Amino acid sequence: MTQAAPRDRAATGSNALQTGLIQLREVTEAIRVRVRNPAKLRNLELFLLVIAWVVGGGAMVLVQLGALETVDLFPLQLAAILAVLTFALHIALRVVAREADAIILPVATALNGIGIAMIYRIDIAQGATGWDAASMRQIAWTGIALVIAIAAIVLVRNHRVLARYRFLAMAAAFVLLLLPLMPGIGRTVNGATVWVGVGPVTFQPGELAKIALAIFFAGYLMTARDSLSVVGKRFLGIRFPRVRDLGPILVVWAMCMLVLVFQRDLGTSLLYFGLFLVMIYVATGRRSWMVIGVGLVALGGVAAYFTMGYVQRRIHAWIHAFDNDVYNASGGSFQIVEGIFGMAHGGLLGTGLGLGRPYLTPYANSDYIIPSLGEELGLAGLMAILCLYIVLVSRGIRVGFQGPDDFTKLLSVGLAFVIGLQVFIVVGGVTRLIPLTGLTTPFLAAGGSSLLANWLIVALLLRLSDSVRGRGFA
Amino acid sequence: MSELTLIIIRIGFLALLWLFIFIVLYSLRSDLFGPRLTQLQQVAVQSQRSRSAGTTGTTAPAPAAAASDTPTTITERAAPAGGGLARRIVVTSGPKTGLELDLPETGLTIGRSSGSGLQIKDDYTSGSHAKIVRWRDQWMVQDQGSTNGTFVDGKRVSEATPVRVGSSIRIGTTTFELRR
Repeated sequence: MTQAAPRDRAATGSNALQTGLIQLREVTEAIRVRVRNPAKLRNLELFLLVIAWVVGGGAMVLVQLGALETVDLFPLQLAAILAVLTFALHIALRVVAREADAIILPVATALNGIGIAMIYRIDIAQGATGWDAASMRQIAWTGIALVIAIAAIVLVRNHRVLARYRFLAMAAAFVLLLLPLMPGIGRTVNGATVWVGVGPVTFQPGELAKIALAIFFAGYLMTARDSLSVVGKRFLGIRFPRVRDLGPILVVWAMCMLVLVFQRDLGTSLLYFGLFLVMIYVATGRRSWMVIGVGLVALGGVAAYFTMGYVQRRIHAWIHAFDNDVYNASGGSFQIVEGIFGMAHGGLLGTGLGLGRPYLTPYANSDYIIPSLGEELGLAGLMAILCLYIVLVSRGIRVGFQGPDDFTKLLSVGLAFVIGLQVFIVVGGVTRLIPLTGLTTPFLAAGGSSLLANWLIVALLLRLSDSVRGRGFA
Repeated sequence: MSELTLIIIRIGFLALLWLFIFIVLYSLRSDLFGPRLTQLQQVAVQSQRSRSAGTTGTTAPAPAAAASDTPTTITERAAPAGGGLARRIVVTSGPKTGLELDLPETGLTIGRSSGSGLQIKDDYTSGSHAKIVRWRDQWMVQDQGSTNGTFVDGKRVSEATPVRVGSSIRIGTTTFELRR
C-alpha cells in the first residue's frame, strides 16, 4: 500500500526525510487498522447468508406449492447442498480472508438459489426426473463450483502472484477458446461451436476463458498503462493515442472477430471485447479508447451483418420481431416474442412461482430464464434480481476503487464488469433492447461451466476485497 | 391450500426478496453516505494531529474535541481558525494543486532549482525565488530578488513579510496557503 499513494507527494523533490516520514506514517496506519474487529464483517455475512438461504428455499417451496400443490422434501434436501457449501465457504473466509467483502457471497447465493428453483420449475413442467432434470445437474454443478471456489480461496492466498502468470493466463485463454474447434471433442449446439464434450459431460470453455483473459489484461495493462496513456493528435475534441499504441486493441479485436466467425457466437465476442475496452479505459483514463473501441465494434458488426447469415437473421428477428413471417421462420423471432408475451403475462407482481407457463418459451431454463422469472415473479421480482446484480457488480468495482495496487484494481473491475456486461447482453437481448445473443445469465441460468466460472469470479473478488484492509465499510 | 393463502405467500416472497436488498443496502450505507468514524479512528485522528503538531508527550485525546469537528476523512487536517503557528504549507492553485508539505523548523526555500525545498517548474519562477522562514513566533516570507516577484494577499512584497494562517502567497502561477 505504500507504493502508489505517496508517489505524488514524494515527486515534489522535497527532502527525502519528509518522504520517509510520510511512508513511515502510512506503515503505522496500516498496522493500526489491522486492530479492527473483522468478525463484525463475517457476522454480517452470515446474517445475510441465512436470508439468502431462506430466499432460495422459499422459492423452491413456492414452486412446489404452485406446480405440485404439495411440498416434496427430497429436492429441497438436494438443494440444501448450496446452503451447506456456501456455509463452508463462509467458514473458509473466516479463516483465510477475514476482511473480505461481506455482501458478495450472500448475493451470489441468493441468485444461485433462485436459479435452481426456476430450473426445477421448468423440469416439473417438462416431467424431467433424475439426471435428465436440468435442476439435478445444476445442483451437482453448484456443488462442484463451490468446492472449486473454496479451494481457490484457500490456495490463492496472495492474488498478486496471478500477475506473474499473466502470459500463462493468455495462453490458457487461447487454448480454452480453441478447444471447441478441435475435432473430436468440439460440439456445435444451435449453430454455435462453443462446447466441448467428453461422453455425457459437456462444457463451455469460453466461460473460463473470460477469467483467464481478465487476469491477462490486468497484468498486461498494469505494465503497459503508461505507454498506452500517451496521447497523440487531437481530433474532434478528443486526444487520440499514437498509432503505434493501437496494436493491442487491434489484436484483441481480431481475436473477438475470429470467435465471431469460427465459433459463430456473437455474445461471447462482444463480452471479451467489452472486457478489454473497459479495462484499458480504467487503466489509462482516456476516453479516446472508448471511441476507438465502439468504432471497431461498429465496423465489425457491419462487416458481420453483410457477410454472415446468422448475424443477419439475429438482427432481423430483433427489429422485425412481431412480423408474422419473421415470427414463423425457423431461427426467427418466435423465442423472443414468446419471452416478451411471458413477461407481459406476468405483469407487475407475476403469476406466482409455479403458476405461469414459462415453459412455452424454448430454453426457458437457460438463455430464457430471465423472461421465465419475469413471468412468475413479475416486474417487482425481476427488478429485485437486477438489483442483486447491481449490488454484486458495484461491490467488485468498489474493490477496484479502493484497491491497494494497479493489478488488484484492474482485475476486480474487469471481473465485476464481465458479470455486469453479461447480464446486460442477456437482459438486453430478451427485452429486445439489443439483438439477442446466446449468453448465460450469471448464477441463474442452467449450465455448469457458467456456474463454475462465476463462482470462481466470486472467489477471486472475495480474495481481492480482502486485500483492501481496513478500508471497507462497517 | 386456498387461493388467498397462496397470494399472500407469493407477495410475501417478493417482500422477502426486497427486504434482502434493503438489508444489503442498509449495511452498505457507509459506502453511500461516507464513513462514520469509529471511536478507534477518532483516537487515531487525534494522535495523528498531536504527532503532526510535534508534541512529544501524547496529550490524552479528549473524545469531545474529536466529536466537535467530526472530520469526514482521516486526511483532512485542522481548518484555519484562531491563532497558533502554521505547521503545513498547501498549494491551492497551479500545477501542483493539492500538494501538502510539513513546514520544517529551519524554513523552506521555494524556487525552480532542484535544491529548493519546494520546487516549482514554470517560466515565472526564479531559480531561488523566495524563502519562508520562522522569525520569533511567526512565519515570514522573504523574496530572494526574484524577477517576477512574490505576492502576499495580492500585494507584491520586497522585504520579509509576516504570513498568517490562511493568507495566500502567490509565486508565478502557483498559490500557497499556510495551515496549522
